[in-house]
Amino acid sequence: MLTRDDIAAPCDKSLAVVSAAWHGLFWLVFANGVGTLLAVLLLVPALNPILGEWTYGRWIMVHMNIMLYGWTSLPLVGFLFRVYGADRGAVAPWCRPILWVWSAALAVGVCSWLSGHSSGKLFLDWSGYARVFFPVALAALWLLLLAALVRNRNHASNAHLATKAAKLAGLFILAMVPFLLYHSAGPDFYPAVNPDTGGPTGASQLESSLGIVAVMLVLPFGLAHRNPASRRILLTAWFVLIAESVLCVMLGTSDISHRVPAQYLSLGTLLVWLPLMPAYYCAFAWHPETRRWRGAFLWWWSALVVTGWIFFLPGVLDRFKFTDGLVGHSFVAMAGFTSSLIIFVSIQLLGQHGWIFNRSRSFYAWNLSVIAYILIMTVAGWREGFDPAFTIVPGPARNLLYSLRLVTGILMLLASLDWLVDASTVLRRPSSQFTHQAQEKAA
Amino acid sequence: MPRGKSTFSGWQGTVLVAITYVHFLIFAQFAFLKRMASLGIADAHLKAVMAAMAFGGILFSLLVPRVWKSVSPHACLRLGLLVSSVAAFSTLLPLTLAASFVVAFVIGVGLAVVTVTIVTFLPVWTGGRDSLFKVALGTGLGYFLCNFPPLFTASPEAQAITAGVLCLVGIVVTLAPAPEPGAQSTPEPREPIPFVLVLIGFTALVWLDSAAFFIIQNSAALKAVTWQGSLHLWMNGTLHLWAALAAAFLLRRRGLSFTLAAAFCALAAACLLLLDPRPSLLASIFYPIGVSLYSVALVAYPSLLAPSASAGERGRRAGWLYAVAGWIGSAMGIGMGQNLGHVPAAFIVAAGLGVLSPLLIQLFRHRRREVVLTVLLAIVALYLDRGPLSVKAHPALSQVERGRKVYISEGCIHCHSQYVRPNSPDVLMWGPVESIADLRAQHPPLIGNRRQGPDLTQVGLRRSPLWLKAHFCNPAEVSGSSIMPTFCFLFNDSRGDDLVAYLASLHGQGSDQHIAEISHWQPSQDAWTHADAALGERIYHQRCATCHASDGQTRLAWESGFKRLPPDLATGPYFRLSPADAAGARLQRLARITKFGIPGTDMPGHEYLSDHDITSVAVWLSQIIAQPTQQQ
Repeated sequence: MLTRDDIAAPCDKSLAVVSAAWHGLFWLVFANGVGTLLAVLLLVPALNPILGEWTYGRWIMVHMNIMLYGWTSLPLVGFLFRVYGADRGAVAPWCRPILWVWSAALAVGVCSWLSGHSSGKLFLDWSGYARVFFPVALAALWLLLLAALVRNRNHASNAHLATKAAKLAGLFILAMVPFLLYHSAGPDFYPAVNPDTGGPTGASQLESSLGIVAVMLVLPFGLAHRNPASRRILLTAWFVLIAESVLCVMLGTSDISHRVPAQYLSLGTLLVWLPLMPAYYCAFAWHPETRRWRGAFLWWWSALVVTGWIFFLPGVLDRFKFTDGLVGHSFVAMAGFTSSLIIFVSIQLLGQHGWIFNRSRSFYAWNLSVIAYILIMTVAGWREGFDPAFTIVPGPARNLLYSLRLVTGILMLLASLDWLVDASTVLRRPSSQFTHQAQEKAA
Repeated sequence: MPRGKSTFSGWQGTVLVAITYVHFLIFAQFAFLKRMASLGIADAHLKAVMAAMAFGGILFSLLVPRVWKSVSPHACLRLGLLVSSVAAFSTLLPLTLAASFVVAFVIGVGLAVVTVTIVTFLPVWTGGRDSLFKVALGTGLGYFLCNFPPLFTASPEAQAITAGVLCLVGIVVTLAPAPEPGAQSTPEPREPIPFVLVLIGFTALVWLDSAAFFIIQNSAALKAVTWQGSLHLWMNGTLHLWAALAAAFLLRRRGLSFTLAAAFCALAAACLLLLDPRPSLLASIFYPIGVSLYSVALVAYPSLLAPSASAGERGRRAGWLYAVAGWIGSAMGIGMGQNLGHVPAAFIVAAGLGVLSPLLIQLFRHRRREVVLTVLLAIVALYLDRGPLSVKAHPALSQVERGRKVYISEGCIHCHSQYVRPNSPDVLMWGPVESIADLRAQHPPLIGNRRQGPDLTQVGLRRSPLWLKAHFCNPAEVSGSSIMPTFCFLFNDSRGDDLVAYLASLHGQGSDQHIAEISHWQPSQDAWTHADAALGERIYHQRCATCHASDGQTRLAWESGFKRLPPDLATGPYFRLSPADAAGARLQRLARITKFGIPGTDMPGHEYLSDHDITSVAVWLSQIIAQPTQQQ
């Protein structure tokens, strides 16, 4: 929870948060580079032999995992630094080492995937040494947050008992993450299966969506000051989340078809967040620099909720399952919604340094490319749903769509490169400036 | 000073650096060796001749800085260029072995005098402004000219004449008016790097460079994909030029240690890629980049990058640098190429430590906390991985289980599903359906989420082990325009056969019923109405002829592996067509075989092709296939 002083100067410039954003952007550029390579390989398969054993299948593991554990995670580590006060005082010098450990674990992961080590589970591809090292990095972060909380127990930001309790609860949940990650990467754990498609059930989709909703409801408390007279909307949002969670528990975890009405109707309850989430975010005071990306993130959220539900409906899912159509939908989730949320959070944390994300050229290049990508993949998926040979036997139409996709990928790569270069510029400032600002802030 | 004159001031430095590189690369490293070969000097004699060159080079690299007290740099450089020119022209004579020793020694002497003098007194010829850029341009142009196809492919005599003439041109260049000294624009000041670390770094880089160069030039397969033909040469030359210019930028912005680290990364990548001839095209991209990056630094270091020092000290450093890194490093690299034929990975790691040591020391100095914590936690993770969390030793895995691991390792699930959706077109194409209980018995299930290729749940029912192996080795050849990468490398050890065994094992309950169902399959009437024999012919040539034509590539490559050699469809025999069949039944049978293959044989299906494609192939086949006889 931020103090009034923090809100008065929301443009924090601490080294830890800028570093976290930089690490996240570095991995974004890397993953986008890999994504571009993959798009080229699908278009020009004759290039495959020059990669030797580092084939398409190994690179795609790198692409997906780095996007999740690098780009979408590291800026949120910056958020945790801020919330727990790890970016100030005696523990602050340990923030950057933690980011190094995290990135080192990701680098080990990249080597591991390229060497052909995998668990065979999407987004849980941790295997061998990398499966241990990454949870160790998570545990190190947890210890830092714990140390920061202990040191800052008497800080003004922890004056309220509720704040302390919320942070302790957060630490309790975070403590489980390394163990859960290690365990779920093992071969014996597998979520419920929709027997008609082989994909997730409506209940498990609802469960993961509510997890994201919970994160979205928590984030503003660590980022911004609440507007007066916003109590009702906050209570409504949390009440809806609890109600939907109860519904989710009642649906159970069995292998059940998407054709069962209870499954798609319960997933449809997420539509209530279309008006609720923007109203919830209006209940907080945001840094003016966030306006553009806050709008984008809420727009992508709406697109995700609507398309997520439509794509799950009987008839629609049957057509799109295993096709480019669902790749396009996953792009709504990762490149559209998650990326814009991460950038919005980063701008709020960076304050005046948020300009690195606010150049018009990169904003439009990113968002328009993502929209174009999704449209292209939806068209390709629609064709593929009729005719599997559309993808398996490349023809002019497929190649045209994949060429357009490559162009959008290159534009996204350039946009991310633009952000990374600007973040590097900010980071190259003498560290004494950051220290001085941090000391001022701590005082 | 007029603007034009200011812009081009210091061109002498660029030209002299370029001339020196051309003389060294195209003559001393290349033409002279070919000339020796044409004179019948080889093996031990050649090594001795090259040793004489190295001896001359090392000796005079160390001696030259001592004579500058009595001879001016200009005179020294002119003398060195003259000696180099004479040495180049003298190789045109019919040399005896003894004369070759002398000439080789003189070449080494000339090169030593020229290089050490130029790099010690660079600003004398480059002027004060943009010296780094001028050096980079000279280096890049030198390499570019050496890769200029007419020069690269010229006879040794022509190359020697070119080198000799260029040295004379160099003498003329030194007679031109000296450039304006101006204010020296040096790179941003950085922490000084101890000279011994610089020496180690350059030696390691020259070593890697020489070894890679020797290996490429002495391996026909590698040379064919990296250094033969005009296109390769133009590409190499262009890469050299751009990398040299990039080196100037990096040296100015990021310093010597970063530039050398970048050069090492490129050269190490090239050396690693050369271990396998298949991806060596990439090596031909990394190699020139790495070479040009460090070559610019090698020329610029004594005068432009080292902390300010007297001419004497700069000269001594240059002498040691060229004696140890240049001559000894080069000799060691060539020796490694000759004796091992490859650059061992362990050596690359050791060289990396040598080159990266300044960067690592800097990193440790400025980021001690980060480095220590990362290393510490990496060790903790290693302990946990090997100790408390170590996976219990499995009983020996079967071949199928090992194959499943290969399937997971290669990321096959990212292109192939293993889930036949009930009540969907999947069932006919890739069925039968697998039960959820069977799926849950797998650890983990390999459902996948995206199909770039067919579903593989029951692939063992549809494809023979031979087909799978042939397809892994060359997918595009076996399966028309397949986009799947080749996995031939898996057959260098047991992984390939394990994977084939696993895929062949993928057929579960309901197989017999499924075979019975597809034996009654018929394309739609609409597809028969619109069947296009011309389209059928195209599909046949793309997908069938590789096995069914007498000169089909897959047929020839795997001839001995087939259970029964596929019939040549132009002549027969046609084992699966009955003479008793009416024309309609015959077409239906051809369509069914095209669509689903022949279970239990090497004949694959083409399940994902549309009915229109299938009927088109069947119609075309029926037009070319002679009527089967009773004997067939």
